[in-house]
Amino acid sequence: MSRPRSTLGRVWPNALALVLLVGFVFPVYWMFATAFKPTGDIISENPVWFPVDFTFEHFTTAVTADNFWTLVRNSVTVTVLAVLFSLVIALLASFALARMRFRGRRGFIVGFMLAQMAPWEVMVIAIYLIVRDADMLNSLIPLTVFYMMMVLPFTLLTLRGFVGAIPKDLEESAMVDGCSRPQAFVKVILPLLAPGLMSTSLFGFITAWNEFPMVLILNKQAEAQTLPLWISKFQTVFGDDWGATMAASSLFAIPILLLFLFLQRKAVSGLTAGAVKG
Amino acid sequence: MKRKLIAAIGAAGMLVSVAACGSDDGKGSGADGFKGQTLTVWAMDGSTPDTWTKDVTAAFEKKTGAKVEFEVQQWNGIQQRLTTALSEENPPDVFEIGNTQTPAYAQTGGLAELEDLKKSIGADWTETLNEASVFDGKQYAAPWFAANRVVVYNKKVFKEAGVTGIPKTRAELFEAFDKIKAKGKAEPVYMPGQNWYFFDGLTIGTGADLVKKDGDKWVSNLADPKVGEAMEIYKKYASYSTAPKDKDEATPQQAEVFAKGKTGAFIGMGWEAATAIKANPKIEKDIGYFTIPGETADKPEGVFLGGSNLAIAAGSEKQELAKEFLKIALSDKFEGQLSKELGVIPNKESLQENLKGQPAGEAAAPAVASGGTTPLIPEWAAVENPPNPIKTYMTAVLNGKSHAAAAQQVEGEFNKRLAQKQ
Amino acid sequence: MTVQTERQDSRPAEVRGVDGGGGRPQRRAASRARTTALAPYLLLLPALAATLLLLGWPLVKNGLLSFQNLNMRQLIQRLTEWNGLDNYAEVLSSSDFWRVTVRSVLFTGANVVLIMILGTLVGLLLARLGKRMRLTLLIGLVLAWAMPPIAAVTVYKWLFAQRFGVVNWVLDQLGFHSMADHNWLATQFSTFAVVTLLIVWQSIPFVAINLYAATTTIPKELYEAASLDGAGAWKSFTSVTMPFLRPFLYATTFLEIIWVFKAFTQVFAINEGGPNRLTEILPVYAYIEGFGNQHFGMGSAIALLTIVILLALTAYYLRIVLKQEEDEL
Repeated sequence: MSRPRSTLGRVWPNALALVLLVGFVFPVYWMFATAFKPTGDIISENPVWFPVDFTFEHFTTAVTADNFWTLVRNSVTVTVLAVLFSLVIALLASFALARMRFRGRRGFIVGFMLAQMAPWEVMVIAIYLIVRDADMLNSLIPLTVFYMMMVLPFTLLTLRGFVGAIPKDLEESAMVDGCSRPQAFVKVILPLLAPGLMSTSLFGFITAWNEFPMVLILNKQAEAQTLPLWISKFQTVFGDDWGATMAASSLFAIPILLLFLFLQRKAVSGLTAGAVKG
Repeated sequence: MKRKLIAAIGAAGMLVSVAACGSDDGKGSGADGFKGQTLTVWAMDGSTPDTWTKDVTAAFEKKTGAKVEFEVQQWNGIQQRLTTALSEENPPDVFEIGNTQTPAYAQTGGLAELEDLKKSIGADWTETLNEASVFDGKQYAAPWFAANRVVVYNKKVFKEAGVTGIPKTRAELFEAFDKIKAKGKAEPVYMPGQNWYFFDGLTIGTGADLVKKDGDKWVSNLADPKVGEAMEIYKKYASYSTAPKDKDEATPQQAEVFAKGKTGAFIGMGWEAATAIKANPKIEKDIGYFTIPGETADKPEGVFLGGSNLAIAAGSEKQELAKEFLKIALSDKFEGQLSKELGVIPNKESLQENLKGQPAGEAAAPAVASGGTTPLIPEWAAVENPPNPIKTYMTAVLNGKSHAAAAQQVEGEFNKRLAQKQ
Repeated sequence: MTVQTERQDSRPAEVRGVDGGGGRPQRRAASRARTTALAPYLLLLPALAATLLLLGWPLVKNGLLSFQNLNMRQLIQRLTEWNGLDNYAEVLSSSDFWRVTVRSVLFTGANVVLIMILGTLVGLLLARLGKRMRLTLLIGLVLAWAMPPIAAVTVYKWLFAQRFGVVNWVLDQLGFHSMADHNWLATQFSTFAVVTLLIVWQSIPFVAINLYAATTTIPKELYEAASLDGAGAWKSFTSVTMPFLRPFLYATTFLEIIWVFKAFTQVFAINEGGPNRLTEILPVYAYIEGFGNQHFGMGSAIALLTIVILLALTAYYLRIVLKQEEDEL
């Protein structure tokens, strides 16, 4: 290859990457920017690209909504518990599926793949009737367990991949060294799985954090509701309060964005490291 | 969904109920029989101003010795929440329900019958407002408050275009729009294609019925020339606007468009002005209101009376206590206070004086007597579920289809919805 | 969140031989083997119990509801009115249902193709970038990916708003003046275009990041060997990169089909299936008919039919999996 071509070869990926970067980031930026602009600048014939007249007014509107902190607490509780439970349950199962031979293994794998297809939004009324008849309305427990179930199949199948990618020899040599199988699992495999656990949990966080149709009818008491109901609050009778909606959306997105930025780097690098060894 | 609902109810909310938690039923009568009970009331977001809520609560607790808990409901998904709530062990005891939705809920058996309440406190409820609470000849709810649309206009734009005096007839109004248009500095009126409650008002004005009986079932009557007549009027309004033909007045919020100061007027609820003022405080001094003028100066345009009723859940264990609450909340004192605080039309004509000093309310009141609602049949609720076929019809006509062709286009969907099993 | 599910299967045969468990452990005591035989079932027990209770039960309940006439009245009064196959008969005989089904399949297909192609390209681009640029782009991708769909839809509605939307303003400035007041949600096609952009925008990061991660695991020696054989860039791409990534691509495609097919939030929130019900896909259709219009029995029937159709769409992949797992054992 000639020199000029390789210069070009170095420039275009970077140029393309920049264009992509703008495309991917702009909507996120616009959400935050809108949230900080006074209403007059939001509804404007010419877009105001930067929030020059910086205001926290919309955030105040969003945060001072009734029960805001209760909803935050509920959302965090439900999401974290759902993700934790699904990780634990999935981890046990994925170990069996990735490492052991037994009758029915294929059936289980395909079964969980099928479970992934459940259309939860349209099963809401069936779930409502079950929960109502079990006298569990207005409780965080049904939310937690159903959210757990929503993410369980994906978590399980993905973790199975991570477990499978860990060289079996590692575990076996630990066992030769006198560890029992569970010991070998905790001492050798679990640390290697940490990135996998983190990255699968992201999916769970997003799903549980966002769920709307179920909490809408299961939990009618304000004290038992979650944040997605709060966001819809600002799109009201009088049309949409874009400023408050964007502020609420920003606040709603921040925990997930931070979690992603924090976990994804570790997850990707950890994963690649683990996978290369495999 | 929420928006259609909202629109449906217009200004008012849907419903509020009172749910009681625990404690035994309210068969005890007299002040002390209710002690220790808690009544749950569902009110829609925006229906219960703070002072009113506080005063009603105090009066109620003083009179009955029981507690009342207001639970403010969001619009999003309210129908599903209400339906499911009514099936539960502890439904809200009292709830706000949109006037046009009352028949459908009455038919489900979810609403307690209120004949005696009507007799004791409802003799002078405004007839056009009470109609929606009656199903099969029986009273199933109590009219709470209502609102109807007015012309919200920008005085400055009107003045600069040389419009003097308030238009008293439809023709005068269009003349004013022509002048604003000729001036070329502002959009004469903001009229999106699917302001369906305004259109419903126009059909009330032309005396059209949207549905008719065919044997024992209801079918579309959209093809009626009187509906076409109403649509012609609507089309004329829309011809002065560049608003989207397939959106309703909430997308974007018409008041926010108006707030820019480049719109002559919009047809809306009086309180939408507050939205405009929030977006642009400078607009406040230019905002004015007048009754939507009709064909002739003596009769205003037909309007849709969006309203809220209060109902009691049939499944509530505190029927008596709930009735006590209604008697207090709907008393002249608190009905008047609510009217004053919200600027809404009260349930009795004698209380309309509470609107004095509120230009929007004063502009709305004259049209109440000649107002109406959507067809008061349980089957109707299905029609307004998105996508509302009448909105589809409106957009089709505005996009150039003939009245007859557009009516025919949506007839199948319209009839299908009316025929849905209940 | 990596789809590496199938990667180990593509490893050379001798590695898999060890995985399959042959030699050493077998030599252990027989009693131990017996406990081990039970172990996998014990490990699977919680997952299985959860699935049966939390998914199986609602599914059965949903199935029962689909044979009932269940509307507002029946729900409120807790009546059970069996009506046999009426709901199914009505759904299957309505042209709406079939139109929505075809639309769903096309919509899913278009989105998945776009996501997979663009996602793969972005993933390969990531592999070519220098360290700093790669990290920057990765962060950008992660931001888009992590946006909660509710927030993302709201932002897109705002970007594409007819009045005061940035997209129209930019197009107007670029000289497309007819776009100044363009209403993106007015027609079926352009509504789908906006939804597609939204879904593709949010899905590319998942594919790209994982694909990039997968490329880093390709042993360098393979490329060296290929270039010794005189393979050019394209040849080594087709003979080394693609075969290595194939299982990964299959698994990702499978996931994307499921996710796009079930993309309820995005499609519903952007325009509630409008204009004129023309952008309803199956889950939205089921929701509007069943839940919005409060015909719960009918909605349950549509929900079950939706599952059947999704099964049909993914049958090919499921068969591959079945076969693969068979080979492996």
